[in-house]
Amino acid sequence: MSALIFTIVLGIILLYLGFVKNKAILAPVAIAGLMITLFLLFKDWGLGSKYFHDMIVFDNFSIAFNISMVIITILIFFFGIDYYEALEFHVAEHYALMIFALTGAFLMTSFSNLIMLFLGIEILSIPLYVLAGGKKYSYRSNEASFKYFMLGSFATTIFLFGVALVYGASATFYLPEIKIFISQFNGHLPPMMLVGLLFILIGVAFKVAVAPFHFWSPDVYEGAPTLVTAFMSTVVKTAGFAAFFRLLNMGLLPLPVPLEKALWVMTGLTLLIGNLAALKQTNFKRLLAYSSIAHSGFIMLAMLSQHNTSASVILYYTFVYSLATVPIFIIFILMKRAADGSEELSIFRGLYKQKPWIAVFLTILLMSMAGIPPTSGFMAKYQVFVLSISQGYLGISIVAILMAVIGIYYYFFVMREVFTEREQSYPIQVSKINAALIVVCGVAVVMLGIFVWNLPI
Amino acid sequence: MKNFSSAIQVIPLEHYIILCTTLFCIGLVGVLYRRNTIIILMCIELMFNSVNLLLTAFSAYHSDPAGQVFVFFIMIVAAAEVAVGLSILVMMKRNVDSVDINLLNRLKW
Repeated sequence: MSALIFTIVLGIILLYLGFVKNKAILAPVAIAGLMITLFLLFKDWGLGSKYFHDMIVFDNFSIAFNISMVIITILIFFFGIDYYEALEFHVAEHYALMIFALTGAFLMTSFSNLIMLFLGIEILSIPLYVLAGGKKYSYRSNEASFKYFMLGSFATTIFLFGVALVYGASATFYLPEIKIFISQFNGHLPPMMLVGLLFILIGVAFKVAVAPFHFWSPDVYEGAPTLVTAFMSTVVKTAGFAAFFRLLNMGLLPLPVPLEKALWVMTGLTLLIGNLAALKQTNFKRLLAYSSIAHSGFIMLAMLSQHNTSASVILYYTFVYSLATVPIFIIFILMKRAADGSEELSIFRGLYKQKPWIAVFLTILLMSMAGIPPTSGFMAKYQVFVLSISQGYLGISIVAILMAVIGIYYYFFVMREVFTEREQSYPIQVSKINAALIVVCGVAVVMLGIFVWNLPI
Repeated sequence: MKNFSSAIQVIPLEHYIILCTTLFCIGLVGVLYRRNTIIILMCIELMFNSVNLLLTAFSAYHSDPAGQVFVFFIMIVAAAEVAVGLSILVMMKRNVDSVDINLLNRLKW
């Protein structure tokens, strides 16, 4: 709770620091603040404290996810030092809005009441609508922002309609009570409840971009400023899946049969669409957007396997995925600058010749995304498959493994570009902080694959 | 409060549900079919308000204030959301001088 209050205050402080005409202090203040948040979160570990009449419960699950999100946000802010150097105005607002979004993410991991879930989703989303439009004069940024806003609020209304119907049937917003209400019916729920739950799941699925509700995500990822895209595909995704898992775990398990079927269909579709559509992409940001949809499919698989270790597997998967995604975006931004703003895959050509060490780290990171053994991405996928097969979902696991194999193709396509020679290569410049970030994340991705952890959450 | 609840309960609950679902569907169809972004914003507002009405009706029928408290939260969030949405719209209008949604076609596939 102290962490939640502290982040809100930190956001307001950052907003006011915008009046100081020195933007060099913004990132250090934000990072120092997040370090304190990290400390406050560690202090709450194991306490399981409840606030606001049990509407928020800071149990180990939420603290573990919060810590992982704060770490990734710190990495993104380090990236921001270089990224926002060229920007003259409104730098403080960018940092502040990201901190506010992080506050929403904290609520999304710790709710035990549908009101708090709604507030968390909205506090996360509203700053993101603004952030996606961060490049005011870029037409594509405008379009991304407006699409995100429109589809996001559309999804929110559907979610709310579901909440209203669930409330009508069960007369409560409190998830444990909803669970008791569902268990009374032995699988034959009243139609109003069933429709309400389906609408709630659709709303949440929209937020985490699970097929068939994923259409906004490639557009928004492509149009938004790259730093915001990195934030959306890591922190927001983690928060979304934490909320999804918590919703299922606290309120809906064991799932009513129609809902379970719907979720399995969504998982299968996500795996298929994410991986197959990524094959056709030539824009790198779009490729990463589809790859992030594909990763959602694997996380859904872990989530629906319904085992004690599911939460831990999801945490490991999202953390490792985020840790690989942030430096990939950093390398992408360096290449994009050198190539005069082009976002095509071909800008990576000739990277090995020019900066061999970046090429090597990029290869490691892409291998982690694809799931090749020495890296942690492999261990994450391995854990998901072990979990789903041990719970008896053999068919969908085979589909997932096939899709993981297809995924290797498009990551290797990028790698091939990196190691292909080009006569006239773009001169890229790496700042010290970015270089350190790439190295640290690259090493961490490998180390986490060797020392796999399983938190009891 | 008691009088208010009993006044609401004069009308059967089904009527509220049908009314709210109809309003929600009008909003939904509006979002999907209208081409003017301001009208789309209005349709989203309509969907929010249909949810509010539904929650209030259920709250009165269950004699439980939680639903009405939720309505306050939804009203505040909807106001914040529309404020952000309108400013995004203004930003877009400055760049392309139009509010037609068909212009949003640079990003696809």
